[in-house]
Amino acid sequence: MSATSFAGSNLPVRSDLVDAHERAWAAIAAPGTWLPGAKRVAVAAEIRRARDCAHCARIKAALSPNGVAGAHDSLGTLGAAQIELIHRVVGDPGRLSEKWSQSVLALGLSEGEYVEIVGLVAMVMMLDTCLRALGVPERALPAPQNGEPMRRRPAGAKKKAAWLPLVEPEDATEADGPLYPNPKAGYIYRGLSLVPQSLRDYWALANCHYMPGEFVYQFDRSIRAIRRPQVEIIAARVSAMHQCVY
Amino acid sequence: MLRESMHSDGKQVEARGVTQGFDRDPDIPHAAGLIEFAEAVVLRDAARTETARKTLRAALGDAGFVDAAAVVAAFHGFVRIADAIGIPYTTAARGSDAPELREQAGINEFYRVRTEVRGEA
Repeated sequence: MSATSFAGSNLPVRSDLVDAHERAWAAIAAPGTWLPGAKRVAVAAEIRRARDCAHCARIKAALSPNGVAGAHDSLGTLGAAQIELIHRVVGDPGRLSEKWSQSVLALGLSEGEYVEIVGLVAMVMMLDTCLRALGVPERALPAPQNGEPMRRRPAGAKKKAAWLPLVEPEDATEADGPLYPNPKAGYIYRGLSLVPQSLRDYWALANCHYMPGEFVYQFDRSIRAIRRPQVEIIAARVSAMHQCVY
Repeated sequence: MLRESMHSDGKQVEARGVTQGFDRDPDIPHAAGLIEFAEAVVLRDAARTETARKTLRAALGDAGFVDAAAVVAAFHGFVRIADAIGIPYTTAARGSDAPELREQAGINEFYRVRTEVRGEA
């Protein structure tokens, strides 16, 4: 695989990873399913702001994440529900609860908007963390693209296994577009399925950082320049530090 | 995934090591450097990250270092989807629960398990 690099760096980087970052930022700037491009870029800006939020730091340090008085240090461009969702998912994702997710929705966010924002948080955290880990300067946010969100909810979405509705593989329809690489796609893969475009954007990026689904259970081989146990010890330690069971 | 990848190498791994540190060398090349790098990045400790980065890049070469950084980054995304959407933790082990692994690895002490299983707030 040919090597190129990220802007501001001369570190050789495989070209598929650089290309995936380019495509991801373009997707973030484009109209989504529920949010226009300008709102999606505003979400990305708030994600960056949340990393240095003093209130989030107090929540993180508290024995219980619930009932910590105060307000998030926000940019002031988004609503209260969006700010709470972004800051808590960025700052303390391992201590969320279904009750908390319902309280965010009750502040005036639709389930589709919730899932789309979670997808953006996951993408921006991955993109920015990758550059920071590599020692590459943070990329400027893209200019938002004009256009209207498509505002379409998959007909087969059901709230059953998770806190938010999912589209199980057997309930996916042609109108949803391609969702799953196979009918046994794990629950982590289904997480964003209420917003199919967010699912596709996220996994196009994630597959280039970790590995595509068809390689996940091939434990005796690695498609990366480090061995599979090396990949997995990183994955396990990062997940554990986030108190994530996955 | 770590346990399965070690099994495929004919090795065992101390599950609790990923939450509480390894008592003995996990027998993975450059494990200490990989863990140090991952921790430094998660904690957003710039100085520690810089030191760990140099060590790991020297040990793995450019391509290996890039892939290590990419994996660290990937799991900053996965964890947020799983935890914000409320994916059932009982499906974490290839779609099913692995209570003995959760116990061995110290995962039962995580907030999500404590609150959902034991009702702690």
